[in-house]
Amino acid sequence: MSVFIDKTTLVEVQGVTGKEGSFWTKHMVDLGTKVTFGVTPGKEGQSVEGVPVYHTVARGLREHKADAAMLFVPPRFTKDAVYEALDGGIRKIVTIADGIPLHEMIQIRQAAKSCGAMVIGGNTSGVISPGQAMMGFFPYWIERVYKPGRIGVMTRSGSLTNEVTAEVVKGGFGVSSLIGIGGDSVPLTRFAEMLPAFQADPDTDAVVIIGELGGSMEEEVAEAMEAKIFTKPLVAFIGGRTAPEGKRMGHAGAIATGGTGTVAGKHKALTRAGALVASKPSLVGPLLREALHIK
Amino acid sequence: MKLFEFQAKELFQAVGIPTPKGYVLESADDIGTAIEKTGLPCIVKAQVLTGGRGKAGLIRKADTRAQLESHVQDLFDPTRKIKRLLIEEAIDIDREIYLSLTVDPVKAKLIFLACAEGGVDIEELAAKHPEKIITRSVDIDQGLMDYQITNLLFDLGIVGDIAKQARSVISGLYKTFRAHDAELAEINPLFITKQGALVAGDGKFIIDDNSLMRQPKFQLAREYFDSCIEFEAATEGIPYLQFDGDIGLLCAGAGLTTTVYDLINDAGGKVANYLEFGGANYKRAMKAMELCLKNNLKVILVVTFGTIARADVMAQGLVEAIQALKPTVPIVPCIRGTNEEEATRILKEAGLEPLFDTEEAVLKAVAIAAGRSK
Repeated sequence: MSVFIDKTTLVEVQGVTGKEGSFWTKHMVDLGTKVTFGVTPGKEGQSVEGVPVYHTVARGLREHKADAAMLFVPPRFTKDAVYEALDGGIRKIVTIADGIPLHEMIQIRQAAKSCGAMVIGGNTSGVISPGQAMMGFFPYWIERVYKPGRIGVMTRSGSLTNEVTAEVVKGGFGVSSLIGIGGDSVPLTRFAEMLPAFQADPDTDAVVIIGELGGSMEEEVAEAMEAKIFTKPLVAFIGGRTAPEGKRMGHAGAIATGGTGTVAGKHKALTRAGALVASKPSLVGPLLREALHIK
Repeated sequence: MKLFEFQAKELFQAVGIPTPKGYVLESADDIGTAIEKTGLPCIVKAQVLTGGRGKAGLIRKADTRAQLESHVQDLFDPTRKIKRLLIEEAIDIDREIYLSLTVDPVKAKLIFLACAEGGVDIEELAAKHPEKIITRSVDIDQGLMDYQITNLLFDLGIVGDIAKQARSVISGLYKTFRAHDAELAEINPLFITKQGALVAGDGKFIIDDNSLMRQPKFQLAREYFDSCIEFEAATEGIPYLQFDGDIGLLCAGAGLTTTVYDLINDAGGKVANYLEFGGANYKRAMKAMELCLKNNLKVILVVTFGTIARADVMAQGLVEAIQALKPTVPIVPCIRGTNEEEATRILKEAGLEPLFDTEEAVLKAVAIAAGRSK
């Protein structure tokens, strides 16, 4: 088992013929992902790495099945692409788009909630269950980062994920499922909303969250722990501890204002809920060992 | 993009939200025109993007023309770098209300925040008495509904003749928020005058950066940035923040760069600039280095761990930038990710010493900046 995606998940890819779309579709297939079809309007009849291409999601679904949609679609077309997938009955969607207009993110999240769908992203690398399947782009061939194992990872960042996950592996662990929540101010799915799946996953022993300043997602994780919705060990690393208030540190969502969204506040909330918080990436491995009582 | 007060008020006026009679003064020569428009006494408000203008002495009252001239002369002093003053009629205030609209990322709704006690200390009030802050969620697809406005009005204690005006202010704020892809539209204070009228005393308006391509009226300009380098970086699409230390960052990935920033501060170093050349910019080491070198640096720290942003391409770009721009300070490279073996070879061939551990690279850069190492 795993969270969100495994080797049995049937995936359709929207934007499959684009540069990134075709390149990463090949990698998704190479890792073992079951990609059933791709979509690019005007390109029906072509194939990408053996994946048949259709004009629309609806036309692809006449011939194939899909449980999940992977979107390699530019930000300004993302809302349309998500609604198209939802309209096709698909309830798991990943969008990597960086720069989705804010009001459209609200609309997408609202639409997903109203039909019980889970949309992951934007501004993310996607999701991966190492050794099984991925939706998005991860350097899964780098063994010191993407080693299969029993630690769940959730992250608001891309490069920092490689950095911290390497520390998880260095600590003697591997990754069950990694969910890239993304760096936007309105993540379409939030940390706390993924926790029940990690709680239920028998192949996940503990979860690492890679957070950062801004927003309230880390505080919501603490609440879920206090409410016993999540009871497995949890280790957090949170970037931006020394960032000045009012500065947006790269990601749209990474800004602390008016005393809210500070790393100090997040650290306090998580610690009170029983999580272990690493002050630097290299402490993540040792803290995981401590949390799991491994000497 | 955060707008200046006068721009926010132009948006308000366009949807019928009353604002004080005002004049945007760009030169002391126009004082006469300003007084004709606003009368005396008047309020002089520096148009800068920083908060806390009142406490910083950037909002002043003038009772006479002589006083106004003296305020204008002082605020236009070149050292202050203030380009515009908003001169407004003084309002006879009965009370002040707080009203804003923003997004609620958890509920996926828009949310009105309001308070019967507006003014400069709203954040403090919200922290001490959260129960005094009135909230009302609005479904973005459904739009603002009458009953939601009614709820806001009764909760604010606005009844009688003024309620009709308040209705139009609230719906106007919603309309302009949606039309301009705002992340925040705030009126604080919203005056209730002694004559029983509503007037927007101040205006704060932030447009979502991801939506700027469909807001052609609002484009990047030098005046929205603190420094020339920040503006240049923004027009190049390279994330850049200015600090005042001596360690230049040339990193990739927002989260990783932010973490490197923390690690440097922890180790006692000081960051000169935050710069990311990951994502779509990973082939642009030259431009990134050029921006970085506009600072007075002791060392440049390069930390990456990219996927699409290939390590070999970034290493090659870095080497080419060094050859072309000939930086005189040491470079500490820690470039990992896709094709990292090739990256290592490229760096070594160029005489650089590649590192693989972020924390080690940070300590080395901090030691160089402190003069403890070369």
